[in-house]
Amino acid sequence: MPVIDLWAKDGYLSTPDGNSIYFWGFSKSETGPAQLPGPYIIAKQEETITVNLYNKLSEPVSISFPGQPVVTVGGQPVQPQYSDGQLLSFVNHAEPGGMVSYTFTPSYPGTFIYESGTNPHKQVPMGLYGGLVVRPADYNPNVKEYKTAYGAGTNTEFDREYLLITGEIDPDMHQTVEEGKPYHVSKYLPRYWTLNGRCAPDTMLMDHVDYLPHQPYGSIVMGQPGEKILMRYIGAGIDNHPLHPHGTHTRVVAVDGRLLKNGNVDLSYKRFTVLVGAGQTYDQIYQWDGLGYTPQNPIPTTLPNLRNMGIGDAGWTMWSGSPYLGMKGDIPVGVVSYNEFGEYYFMLHSHEELQITNWGEFPGGMMTWVAIYPSLSHDVGVLK
Amino acid sequence: MATVAKILQVATGSLSLPGKIIPFWGFTDVFVGNPQNPGPLIQATVGDQLIVGLMHNYIKFIGEPLSIIFPGQENVMVRKIPWGPFIYEPVQPQYSLGKMISLTNYLDEKQDIIIEYSFTATKPGIYLYESGTNPEKQIQMGLYGIIVVRPVGYNILDHHNHKTAYGAGTNSGYDLEKILVLSEIDSIMHNNVRPNVYYDMLKFKPDYWVINGRSFPDTISEDNTSSQPYGSQISCRVGQRVLLRIINAGFQNHTFYLGGLVGRVVAEDSFPLKTQSLDATYEKTGVTLGSGQRMDIILTPTTPGEYYLYDREYHHLVNNDQFPGGMMTRITVNN
Repeated sequence: MPVIDLWAKDGYLSTPDGNSIYFWGFSKSETGPAQLPGPYIIAKQEETITVNLYNKLSEPVSISFPGQPVVTVGGQPVQPQYSDGQLLSFVNHAEPGGMVSYTFTPSYPGTFIYESGTNPHKQVPMGLYGGLVVRPADYNPNVKEYKTAYGAGTNTEFDREYLLITGEIDPDMHQTVEEGKPYHVSKYLPRYWTLNGRCAPDTMLMDHVDYLPHQPYGSIVMGQPGEKILMRYIGAGIDNHPLHPHGTHTRVVAVDGRLLKNGNVDLSYKRFTVLVGAGQTYDQIYQWDGLGYTPQNPIPTTLPNLRNMGIGDAGWTMWSGSPYLGMKGDIPVGVVSYNEFGEYYFMLHSHEELQITNWGEFPGGMMTWVAIYPSLSHDVGVLK
Repeated sequence: MATVAKILQVATGSLSLPGKIIPFWGFTDVFVGNPQNPGPLIQATVGDQLIVGLMHNYIKFIGEPLSIIFPGQENVMVRKIPWGPFIYEPVQPQYSLGKMISLTNYLDEKQDIIIEYSFTATKPGIYLYESGTNPEKQIQMGLYGIIVVRPVGYNILDHHNHKTAYGAGTNSGYDLEKILVLSEIDSIMHNNVRPNVYYDMLKFKPDYWVINGRSFPDTISEDNTSSQPYGSQISCRVGQRVLLRIINAGFQNHTFYLGGLVGRVVAEDSFPLKTQSLDATYEKTGVTLGSGQRMDIILTPTTPGEYYLYDREYHHLVNNDQFPGGMMTRITVNN
């Protein structure tokens, strides 16, 4: 039986504008850093899993697993917890210094959130959340028909997959928690908007860069033309975010970890923008094939709009200088290109565009790239 | 096909929130009675003729023009007594000096005794009725309520529509139902609004979040005869089909979370998702409702215990900035 250990701890987040923000997060080990979001949990349908929560914070902490049928603690279904007759936690919690062990058997594959169920108005915005991916019972990454999000025959095959978790940060409220001052939600005013705990342009960095010890997950989405790229969105914050990738639409195949299919009727739908609602999840297939691109016919892409290519300071670009995938061309003197192999870049961002700033300064916030490469290792876009 | 008549008056009253009592404006169906929030529930069956009268309140009047709009209802007709029109005519937006002052015909307390709106309930579902005059102010002050339209035969044992929200074949059969009206309250605004005086809605900043006009823990108290008569605590047995009829009557969007449970959305804005040709119902752990939107969800709990249903925008689970409170209620599942 898989056992996951999570330590609720504190730490400091880095933002691209140089801020350092106190937060609470889950860590994989007692000595490891708290991280935002918490460690991905990969489980398997019908396989019982245990999550041990060790609480190193100064107040009770719990974890709720919305959408999982029966979560038990000590053999009994989890229950709301009260203190002096007042609701304290939606589910059994660990006291400071203590631990609690949750056990459940996922009956459905899909994408789910896990998050604190104690003082959630404070603990979830402080960072106590993460993503849970449940593999279908017949999942086999080595066989195309069985490398699916929801099981063979559900039209959810994918070549690569990415988990994108949205959140918001109000640095002043994080500071009041750090200083032990009263936490007034009426003062809430987010100044940072995060994908996988990072603000752009840090979102575009690789996983596990050593200068972001508390934010191990990048959110750049990489693939090849024609590949099925599974994007798993989770809204972990308290606000809703309209996310869209440029380049093409997505097909929404599941919401809240439930396949959009009744009997033989396929209810999946195409969307350009998905409103990522608080606490909800959306599984989508993104497939970029340009205007009929094949390796033999690499020509037909239209020139990308240069505005969509810019990032950072004036004169920085992700453009290769060539409209041909896999080719690099001349770029004007003084322009810095971050293009590596003649790949194409498309933005993926919140269309609530204040949210693509860091404290009001563009570019930043809830923004990343979809990058289409002429060729790409199979190791990229694998959730482990 | 019957006629359902409801005579409403608007009155000033007091709302009791945890730690605070504030003035509000509400509908009442008791002659010069205390107003309530949400307004009195109006129930009808498909085919019924509804007549909703809004009567001048001579005792606890507000002094502003008043009206009711019925989103989702078609061919709403109106007449007024004593100054006419006497014969029902279609409702119209109202203008004064070239300026639109009401989304529909209104009761002018200087001259009218009663205004009557009438329409045929053509589709089953849950609908709002709410103020159409100074709605940015009057709805927040409490002038909203619910109309439930039921399919023919819903109350007849052995009828194929018995205990369904939308009729047979819509997967909307239920053992018990609960109407949950979501909204938010700005207590400072309530204390400062005066009739016929401009209120700057840019100052709107709610500090209480309510289900059926109550903030947790009042939500889990029983129904009563106060100005907030409707509780929202639910008790059911394992395996029962609980129909949650969720309406967002507020100005903010709200994400109603099913306490970790998974429900099946069977209707949106009172359009059933399952028809003869297509079953488009789907399962969710939480649903985001925009202002004025409605969703019908069937919840079938399988494990006994207590579950909290709440706004996943966790900052709305507070009273006076303190958790727990706000837009939250409880379902108790027994064996």
